[in-house]
Amino acid sequence: MKGISFDIVVSLITGIFVCLIVLPMFALFTSTSLGELANQFKSPYVLASFLISLETSLAVVFLALCLGVPTAYLLGVKKFKGKEIIDTLIDLPICMPPLVAGLALLILLGGNSGFGNLLSNQGIDLIFSKKGIIIAQLFVSTPFLIKSAREAFESIDQNVINASLTLGASKFYTFKKVLLPLAKNGIYAGMVMTWARALGEFGATSMVAGCVPFKTETMTVAIYQNAMSGEMDSSVAIALVLIVFSFTSLFIFKSRLRGQIALS
Amino acid sequence: MGVVLKKISKNYNGRTALKDLDLEVSRGEFHVLLGPNGAGKTTVLSVIAGLTKQDKGTVMVGGRNANGLPPEKRKIGFVFQDYALFPHLSVFDNIAYGLRVRRLKETEIARKIDYYLARVNIEKEKNKYPHQLSGGQKQNVALIRAIVTEPEILLLDEPMSDLDAPAREKTGQELKNFQQEMGITTICVTHDQDEAFSLGDRVSVLNEGKIEQIEAPHDLFYHPKTEFVARFVGAKNILKARIIKIQQHEAIVYINNECLVQPFKIRVKKYPIFEKGKEISLCIHPEKIVLKKPNEAVGNNLNRIRGKIVNKRSNGKTLRATIDIGGTEIHAAIPKALFDFRIHENVWVCFAPDAPHPLCGKRCRADEAGRRCLNEIRSIRS
Ligand SMILES: Nc1ncnc2c1ncn2[C@@H]1O[C@H](COP(=O)(O)OP(=O)(O)OP(=O)(O)O)[C@@H](O)[C@H]1O
Ligand SMILES: [Mg+2]
Repeated sequence: MKGISFDIVVSLITGIFVCLIVLPMFALFTSTSLGELANQFKSPYVLASFLISLETSLAVVFLALCLGVPTAYLLGVKKFKGKEIIDTLIDLPICMPPLVAGLALLILLGGNSGFGNLLSNQGIDLIFSKKGIIIAQLFVSTPFLIKSAREAFESIDQNVINASLTLGASKFYTFKKVLLPLAKNGIYAGMVMTWARALGEFGATSMVAGCVPFKTETMTVAIYQNAMSGEMDSSVAIALVLIVFSFTSLFIFKSRLRGQIALS
Repeated sequence: MGVVLKKISKNYNGRTALKDLDLEVSRGEFHVLLGPNGAGKTTVLSVIAGLTKQDKGTVMVGGRNANGLPPEKRKIGFVFQDYALFPHLSVFDNIAYGLRVRRLKETEIARKIDYYLARVNIEKEKNKYPHQLSGGQKQNVALIRAIVTEPEILLLDEPMSDLDAPAREKTGQELKNFQQEMGITTICVTHDQDEAFSLGDRVSVLNEGKIEQIEAPHDLFYHPKTEFVARFVGAKNILKARIIKIQQHEAIVYINNECLVQPFKIRVKKYPIFEKGKEISLCIHPEKIVLKKPNEAVGNNLNRIRGKIVNKRSNGKTLRATIDIGGTEIHAAIPKALFDFRIHENVWVCFAPDAPHPLCGKRCRADEAGRRCLNEIRSIRS
């Protein structure tokens, strides 16, 4: 009996949380008519912001993978001095308000700083460009991949790595054939988190890239812009696209990942 | 390819795991490493493999200093205490791993693997994954994975602890065959005395990061040199004695263990270290004790002590009896067929003068004693 009533309590609490998520979604869906939605979806403006978001967030996932996996390996497998400092630094973008991150990037990359000057002398302009968006999103979202991948690397039995070495494999071979396959699911999960974070990123992006429609206006920035200027229909339409798209992608990805775990 | 450890020390966070450890294992030798939990056995293997960096000391492999060599260059095979199979690879791929590193052809790999798997009876599990195997099967896979690359040095950390008795015998026999066919220098940690006996050319006993004694198995079990080794190999009967008289071949000693109610005299074979008046410890292996009924005749040549059986415990073919000789207990291992005593029955505890031997207390120096033992082995073999 006790077991059952405990289950009921837990289910009720979960139910409250689900409502917390579903009710606002519902409100969003009911705030507009289907005809209006269809109209909005056809507008090149909505499409452009969708494409910009998709393009930048995918680029961010790719770059985060290249930068994050080696970092995660270092933190998860190796022991070295100063590890705690690097570890804490990586957490920083997660706790730091994205606006602050954006501000810092704006100052660093802007024309008034030495570094920004150096870049613009080379003809590289990051502020108010897609590259700027990518850098801003990378800054705030890579830690998610690193944390997840690091945990995966950390959970690998040290002796399994040692076994590979004693069998004559080099460190790189071991990384490729043992560590990567064993950390695969953690890395995938981290990629999903990073992608979701990048797609939803607003604060840092708007600081660094501003909002130039058809050029640097991501979906989130467009939602904000339209809502503020009273264009509620556009705002809601883009928001709905964002929600439906990210929910579907996450769902597909997660179920495939679960399928893979069940197989292995 | 012999292995020599010179003055190896290793601390983990200030706690000593190995302390100035010396060990010399010659080429082609099967060396068994014994020791209680936490003695540092795994650490020794790990240092030889280069997986753990020693704080001090030198590891020599095949006469060359291997201190700077990374594990993958040391040409070793390692069977880990917890198997450490690759969880994402099948049995076949696990074993093939080392061969693929060496870029062998797939047909050659398959041929080799089939050959080895058949020898330990696990061909049927070839396509299974580690989590689908029993503990014993995993251990066999780990063993084959290490051997298949034909290493020059094989390091085994309790490689047969999870096998049942018949499998242990079979795998043990195959292991010895592989080892001799290929002449692999092998260092094997085990807790099993039979294994140490049947596999080892020499056995060393590790205690708190130091080697207490290195010896051929027979000598180690029947002639332990220190009290620790004696207790560890199950020679639990330790008598404290004072030498009172030395004759031509024998000595008369006075047994005076602390708790003994009535001290007594026995005759003991004479050893070179004996001096009149000297206090020594004597060890008697339980198998060398014979029990007789109170009314039975005891040969003149035997020592006899009055005692009372307080406990008996069956252990396969032998019975282990505990006999109280008045404040001190004596342990005897008697073949079951010869045992017809009840608990609380009075008995004579009998043993020949050459059964007790002194624990000289000296640590067996790795170099000298090691060489002597090896020479003995060679002369026995040839
Ligand atoms: N990575 C480590 N960090 C800290 N201490 C360690 C580590 N590895 C071993 N030790 C310590 O070193 C000592 C020796 O350990 P080791 O594993 O070599 O013992 P062992 O003889 O193999 O024991 P067992 O028979 O239980 O396997 C132990 O006291 C252990 O706690
Ligand atoms: Mg161990």
